[in-house]
Amino acid sequence: MSASQSAVRSRAEAVQVSRTFDWMILFTVFTAVLGGYHIHYMLTGGDWDFWTDWKDRRLWVTVAPIVSITFPAAVQACLWYRYRLPFGAVVSVLALMLGEWINRYLNFWGWTYFPVNFCFPSNLIPGAIVLDVVLMLSSSLTATAVIGGLAYGLLFYPGNWPIIAPLHVPVEYNGMMMTLADLQGYHYVRTGTPEYIRMVEKGTLRTFGKDVAPVSAFFSGFVSIIIYFLWHFFGRWFSKTDFVDSSNV
Amino acid sequence: MAATTESVKADAAEAPLLNKRNLIAGFMLYLVFYSFIRWYEGVYGWSAGLDSFAPEFETYWMNMLYIEMVIEVLLFSSINGWLWKTRDRKVMSITPREELRRHFTHWTWLVMYGWAIYWGASYFTEQDGTWHQTIVRDTDFTPSHIIEFYLSYPIYIITGTGAFMYAKTRLPTYQEGLHLMYLVSVVGPFMILPNVGLNEWGHTFWFMEELFVAPLHYGFVFFGWAALAIMGVVNTEVMTITKLLKKDLA
Repeated sequence: MSASQSAVRSRAEAVQVSRTFDWMILFTVFTAVLGGYHIHYMLTGGDWDFWTDWKDRRLWVTVAPIVSITFPAAVQACLWYRYRLPFGAVVSVLALMLGEWINRYLNFWGWTYFPVNFCFPSNLIPGAIVLDVVLMLSSSLTATAVIGGLAYGLLFYPGNWPIIAPLHVPVEYNGMMMTLADLQGYHYVRTGTPEYIRMVEKGTLRTFGKDVAPVSAFFSGFVSIIIYFLWHFFGRWFSKTDFVDSSNV
Repeated sequence: MAATTESVKADAAEAPLLNKRNLIAGFMLYLVFYSFIRWYEGVYGWSAGLDSFAPEFETYWMNMLYIEMVIEVLLFSSINGWLWKTRDRKVMSITPREELRRHFTHWTWLVMYGWAIYWGASYFTEQDGTWHQTIVRDTDFTPSHIIEFYLSYPIYIITGTGAFMYAKTRLPTYQEGLHLMYLVSVVGPFMILPNVGLNEWGHTFWFMEELFVAPLHYGFVFFGWAALAIMGVVNTEVMTITKLLKKDLA
């Protein structure tokens, strides 16, 4: 083969070209996934993620894992099954959390002055690590969905516990019993403040054995399993390299 | 020896495979521009953006809306028109090295597309949430919407269609037909802009306290999923670049 048929001049140049493409691809995938995942998450679970007075023991614990396991499952479907890269879930969650932290600091605090300890994002990293580790060790879609998906739901509350616990201590305010997080909400009035809008734990679930968070986490894990399966196949579809005939479009 | 010297001279004169200056300039352009926009919002959102009936709202916000819309239409037409007008009519007969060079340029477009998607779908969209939680809207054209819907979304649409048009007019890989996932990754996020129609229609009919997870917003969610189609583009690109480099990396 003549030199003119080669795209590069040497093996060293080929390696350099390959590495450069790796970085450009990584940046593009990271930012595109960040954008898509963030708009999905903020509009399906955002209110629970934005404010500490929405971070309750029932709906936050239930909703956040179910809606956030989506993109990790889809990105894993591409990165693991095509390239054997075992970090699809972690890279998705890191992207989302970077976008969220930048926003909470520069905009929630920097533009509208909500303190960061009132509007910090939920921590999704422990569940994402487990998803990736289970996939890497098992190389099985089913095991990752069932074990990883369940663990993703179950680990969410413990993963956020150290952060949220100080705000869940009870306080008495004007003769009413509430949490510190509720009190933050009373002091930072928002358009979504009216109590009929806030979707948080009501009293009834406590009659079912009084422990709200474990029941919610278990239910969340169960639904996360189903969502993982579904989004794995979405991920495979989005990874296709097919062309369609221009005349049919 | 003479031949070698000639070859070295030719290499030195040849355009680099990756034009790093363009890549860095593009990245910095969006960063500096959006930093300025964020500063503008910070100052004039509070001082002139609270009451849409006030004359200063017209001055600082509606005029900005009119100007940006005109510029965006001009940019979209001129960039895509130029890419089409200067298309390579003998694209299947370029050398492998030229093809590699074009893939680098294509990836500069894609890096910019990802960067623009970040600003539009992540930065300015969640920012809109905190603005609505703070200010009760009295118009569809709130300051955050003038930036989010009518500035940052059109910018990523222009960047995405530019990338697609570049690939279609200059790369042999994309001459087989229309790459389905490339279409999804450009058309899907584009559809978020028309979906603004549904959003404003709903918010105009119902005074909705800002529940961000309201079903009215699910159109944005659906089209946001299309960003995942970038994986299909990556897979195609990896296969092509691997083919171009394979024998040299083996």
